[in-house]
Amino acid sequence: MKQNPEYLINEMSPQLHRGPDWLKAMRRSNRLGFNESKLPPRGIHLWRYTDPRKFMLAVDQARDSDFAGECDTVASTETEHVKKGRLAAFVTDLGGRDINVLVSPKGLPNGVTICSLSDASEKHFDLIREHLYQLINRKTGKFEAMNGALWNDGIFIHVPDNQIIEKPIHLLREAGRENSAAFPRLVVIVGRNSEITLIDEYGGGSPDRSNGISFSNGAVEIFGAEDSRTRYVSLQRYAPAMNSYFTHRAKLKQNASMLTIPLVFGGELCKQSFGVELAGEGASSKMYGLLFGTGRQHFDNHTLHHHSAGKTNSDIDFKVVLKDRALSAYTGLIRIDNKARTCEAYQENRNLLLNKGTRAETIPELEILNEDVSCSHGATLGSIDEESIFYLNARGIDKSTAVRMIVGGFVQSTLKLVPDDLKERLSEFVATRLEAI
Amino acid sequence: MSDKSPLLEFNDVHVEVEGKEVVKGVSLKIYPGETHAIMGPNGSGKSSLSNALMGHPLYTITKGEAFIKGESILKMKADERSRAGLFLAFQYPLAVPGVSVANFLRAALKSHRGEEADMSDYRGLLKKEMAALSIDPSFATRYLNDGFSGGEKKRIEILQMSILNPAMALLDETDSGLDIDALKTVSEGINRYQDETKGLLLVTHYQRLLNYVKPQHVHVMAAGKFVKSGGPELALKLEDEGYDWIVNNSAVGA
Repeated sequence: MKQNPEYLINEMSPQLHRGPDWLKAMRRSNRLGFNESKLPPRGIHLWRYTDPRKFMLAVDQARDSDFAGECDTVASTETEHVKKGRLAAFVTDLGGRDINVLVSPKGLPNGVTICSLSDASEKHFDLIREHLYQLINRKTGKFEAMNGALWNDGIFIHVPDNQIIEKPIHLLREAGRENSAAFPRLVVIVGRNSEITLIDEYGGGSPDRSNGISFSNGAVEIFGAEDSRTRYVSLQRYAPAMNSYFTHRAKLKQNASMLTIPLVFGGELCKQSFGVELAGEGASSKMYGLLFGTGRQHFDNHTLHHHSAGKTNSDIDFKVVLKDRALSAYTGLIRIDNKARTCEAYQENRNLLLNKGTRAETIPELEILNEDVSCSHGATLGSIDEESIFYLNARGIDKSTAVRMIVGGFVQSTLKLVPDDLKERLSEFVATRLEAI
Repeated sequence: MSDKSPLLEFNDVHVEVEGKEVVKGVSLKIYPGETHAIMGPNGSGKSSLSNALMGHPLYTITKGEAFIKGESILKMKADERSRAGLFLAFQYPLAVPGVSVANFLRAALKSHRGEEADMSDYRGLLKKEMAALSIDPSFATRYLNDGFSGGEKKRIEILQMSILNPAMALLDETDSGLDIDALKTVSEGINRYQDETKGLLLVTHYQRLLNYVKPQHVHVMAAGKFVKSGGPELALKLEDEGYDWIVNNSAVGA
C-alpha cells in the first residue's frame, strides 16, 4: 500500500452501502468528514511525534489476504477455553468481513447480546442508533472519520441491567497478513449494575515489509451505565509490518467503574488513544497500561480522562519499556470541567530504557477548570539502576537474568491485573522481548 | 589453624572509588570457624572494602590480591563471587519492586545450585528460616524491600544469608537501624549461621552487635588502613574511649 497525502475515500462500495438509511447517512457523513478535513498539522501537540501521512494509505489498493498462523493458534486455544467454560465467549473478527461468535456451553446471562454490528443494526436498531458513532465520529478527528466511513463489520455487545458475566469475553480482531487494510469497530453497552470483562486482541500484518505494509484503523466505543463495572483489556500484538491507528472512548454514568488495560507490543508505527469520560457522580476510571517496544518501533500513545461530573476519580499508570532503537511518546491529558467539583485524578508515566538509542517522551497535560480537586501527575524516565543489578549479582544472579527479573518486576503490577486467561501469554510476550539481553 | 586454608584472604588491597583511593593496603586471612570484626569511624573505608570484595562496579581493587577458598576473585564478576561462596549483607539493601521475596530467593538459590529448587522443599526452608528470624510469613509474597522498614530490610538480609548458606559472609553495618529486640533476633540468626566451617566478617561502627555476636579478632580501620588488631577486648575499649586515641596514635605512626 502506498502513502498518499491526497487520498480521498470514494463513494461507498455496494458492500458498505447497506443497512438502515441512518447508517448509510452516518457513513456518508464520516466519508465527507474525512475527505473535507485537512491533515492534522504537525505543530499540534498530538501530532508532534508522528507523521499523519503514515496513515494516509490508499486503502482501495489493499488486498484480501489470508491470516497469520498466530490467529489460528489463538483461535484453537480460546475455542477450547470457551468449551471448558474459562471464557464466556470467544469472538473472531477476520478483517471486518467475517464475525463469528462462540458462546460457552453454560450460555450467557439473560438478554446478553453478542453479535456483528450489521446484525445489530437490523435487530437492535434503537441501541445502535443511540450508541454507534456517539463517542467516535467525524468530529473526533480525521482518522476517526476514516474508520467511521470504512468499517465493514464490527462487534456489538450489549449487557442488559443487573447481569454479571463472570468469565471474560475474548475478541480476536485479525487483520490480513499481507498488504491488508482493516477498520475494526466495537460497541459495548454495559447496563445498570452489570459487570463484564473484555479482552480485545488485535493482530495481523506481515513479518516484514517485502510484501508491503498493512494498515489498521480501529474504533472502540464503550458505555457504562449507572453502577456498572467494566474491565477492558486491549492487547495489540501486530506483526512488524503494520501501521496502526486506534481510538478508544468510554463514557461512564453515576457510580460506574472501569478498568482499562492497554497492552501495546506490535506494529511498526502505532498511534493509540484511550479516553474515558466520567460523566456521572461517583464514576471511577483506572487505566493501567504497558508498552514494550523493540527494534525501530514507533509508538505514540494518548490517554484522556475527562471529568465532566463531580465526585469522580481517575488513576493512570502507563508503563513503557524500550529496547534497541524503539521510541515512545506518551501524552496524558486530565480535563476537569468547571462544574465537576471534588474530583481526584492521578497520572503516572514510567519509562524504562534498556539501552542507549531508545527514546521516550512524556507530556502530561492538565486542564483543570476548578480548584476543588485533588490532582497529581508524575513521570520517570531512566535506565535500570546499576546498584539494583549489583544487588542481584551479589546473590549469585547473573547480569542478564538480573535485568530480566527487574524488568519483570517493573511490569508485574500491570500483568497481575490481567485476566488469568491472558497472563501466561503476556509473560511470554515480555520474556521473548527480553531474550536477547 | 594451619592445617586449614583461609576462606577469605586478601593481601595489600587498595580500593578506588571515583578515582579516589579509599582503601590503602589492607591484608587479612579468615579461617573456617572464625569471626572477625572490622571497626572504624565513618569514612574509614570499611564499607568500601566490603563492596570492593563483593565486586561492586564502582569500587575497583587497584592493587593487591583477594581469594575465596584459595581462588582469586579479582577477575570474577559479583555473581561469580557469590557463587564461589562470598556473601555481603548490605548496609542499605535496595528495593526490587515487582519481585517477591520468595521468587527472588528462589532465583538466587537456582543460580547457586545450577538447578531449580524443589518447590515444596524450598517452601519449607523459607518458612522455617523466616520463622527463626521472626519475619511474618506475609513477607514471602511482598516485593523485596519495597516499603520495608530499615529493621525489616536487615532481617531480610540475614534471611538471604541463612537460605544461601555461604561459606564466607560479610555483614556491613547489619546492626544499624535495629532496635534492641530486632538486634537480638538478627544476632541469633547470625550465630545460627556460624559454625566451624564458616567465616564471618562483621563490619561495624558500634560495638553493640559484638555483645551478641562474639568475634575472636577485631581490626580497627582508619583512613583506609588497619591501624590496630587485637582480641574482643579491643572492641570494648573502643566502646569506652571512642576512636580518637587509636586514630591519632596511628596518624603519628604513619
